[in-house]
Amino acid sequence: MLQRKQSPKSPPAPSPVPVPAPPRKIWRRLPWWQWLLGIFLVIIFLFPFYWVIVTSLNGSNQVLQFPPVFLPHGQWQNYTRAWSEAPWLRYFANTIFIAGATTLLVLITSLLAGFAFGTMQFWGKTAIFAGFISMMMIPQTVLLIPDYLVLRDLHWLNTYWAQIVPWSASVFGIFLLRQYFLSFPRDLIEAARLDGASEIRFIWKIAVPMAKPALITIALYVFLGSWNSFLWPYIMTQNPRVQPIEVGLATFLGTNGTDWTGLSAAVVFTTLPVMILFLVAQRQFLAGASAATGGVKG
Amino acid sequence: MFATERRRRSAYLYLTPAALIFLVFTLGPAFFVLYISLFNWNFLNSAQSTFVGFHNYTNLLASSTFWHSLGISLYFVIGTVPVGLFLALVIAMALMNQFAGRGFVRLAVFSPYVTPVVATSIVWIWIFNPQFGLLNGLLHMAHLPELGWLESQRWAMPGVILYTLWHSLGFDVIIFMAGLSAISADLREAARIDGANRWQEFWSVTWPLLTPTTLFVLIITTIGSLQAFTQFFTMTSGGPLSATTTTSYLLYQLAFLFYRTGPAAALAVLLFILIAGLTALQMLLSQRRTHYQ
Repeated sequence: MLQRKQSPKSPPAPSPVPVPAPPRKIWRRLPWWQWLLGIFLVIIFLFPFYWVIVTSLNGSNQVLQFPPVFLPHGQWQNYTRAWSEAPWLRYFANTIFIAGATTLLVLITSLLAGFAFGTMQFWGKTAIFAGFISMMMIPQTVLLIPDYLVLRDLHWLNTYWAQIVPWSASVFGIFLLRQYFLSFPRDLIEAARLDGASEIRFIWKIAVPMAKPALITIALYVFLGSWNSFLWPYIMTQNPRVQPIEVGLATFLGTNGTDWTGLSAAVVFTTLPVMILFLVAQRQFLAGASAATGGVKG
Repeated sequence: MFATERRRRSAYLYLTPAALIFLVFTLGPAFFVLYISLFNWNFLNSAQSTFVGFHNYTNLLASSTFWHSLGISLYFVIGTVPVGLFLALVIAMALMNQFAGRGFVRLAVFSPYVTPVVATSIVWIWIFNPQFGLLNGLLHMAHLPELGWLESQRWAMPGVILYTLWHSLGFDVIIFMAGLSAISADLREAARIDGANRWQEFWSVTWPLLTPTTLFVLIITTIGSLQAFTQFFTMTSGGPLSATTTTSYLLYQLAFLFYRTGPAAALAVLLFILIAGLTALQMLLSQRRTHYQ
């Protein structure tokens, strides 16, 4: 639409004129609407974050006031109250363990499968790869009933296993690493092989360091997905001892649904770790979202 | 050729962990749900299930609950997908220009996408609160009629749609930005030199070249919307009455509240056909894109 690099001093023309002059000067510069739109977007998308923090720091009478109170008043006891009313520490520990273990397993399974698809020749390769990719077509909602019955037969309901193992292979991860290994210098693989390096050692010593960006992207998205998941752990577990944080928060909503200040405090402290992770690794998250498009390019 | 022989076998070895997991928890269960859907399944004691053929399907297709939920799902898809597509494209194009603070705006727009739906939907339940919520406060100040939002049959769905757009729009924006930056600036510049105005340039250069990205976003968001569950669970529980009972929510109710496993499995199969069809379409279209771009 608009040109990306604009000379800083091009005068605002009343309308675009088709003059074959230096192309950079044809364009109208409209910094003000750009700014206006930018500020508008920031307000729309960030205001709910601000609002939940304000609500979490106000007294219960202030949040029921009209007109609304737009500034926080330092009522930190909302946090201590909310914290004491549910086993949050347990929920946090469960979530970190489940998300961490799932991420680690996904990295291992994706690395091995991605390496095989990306660097090796074997019978049935195309068909097996197509089979793997087609797993994407089977949505979680459809799997709830049969997987519930399978996990029940395995006696895995109400365990960590039910929340980790079914999610420890990822089509996205396998696909991304396969793409990575396809672009791997073949000579390097052959050289390592002639050296007599075992494949596992080769994967660990050379492939892993080189595939690091892809591995980080996969790890971030798998960890985030596991942390944010709700329906699966909600169905597969009933005991708070193994439940993750989002299920805990939903339970808290059910029992303390009218305590808006406490509820807001709980939202803030349960979401904070995700937001910190996002802010620290924002570059990788944004790159990963763009990679999702490449993920289906075929 | 000892080396290749060994290499070949190790390839299968490397595929085994992922394959096993897909087999036990994805592919196997997909066939299992098909099997269950043909039975009057006994949830507590599977051995007492009785074969009923396509009875669950014919029952479902004859029930108004099913068609109602499909209509609700369609309402949600229409509210989130075309609207989201349009908004995401507009925002993405605006963010393609360089300006100070662009990175921050992009980050702000994307940030809701990474938040847990349970947590941020709670924030919006509070914003939508009919008595004390911020939104009705703003409507009041603007001298507009206040609405019942999530507590009214009419406005509950628009409320959930609004939340969903807020939560997920950022992802589409990033995808569109990736698509837009892949379109050569020279081409657009050429169109401008040829005398095209901004609007003509968009319709004759940017939009056609962006088609693959648009289709990708269209299908991905449609599949996402058909599967949406958590915000309905926290914000409306499918209500008031059944005003927000989508097909996915009905599936949950049938299976895990009413324990009507057989009919729920049949519903899952129908949902699967719908989603798998869309995914297959997506894959087909994305393969074609490599040919003409």
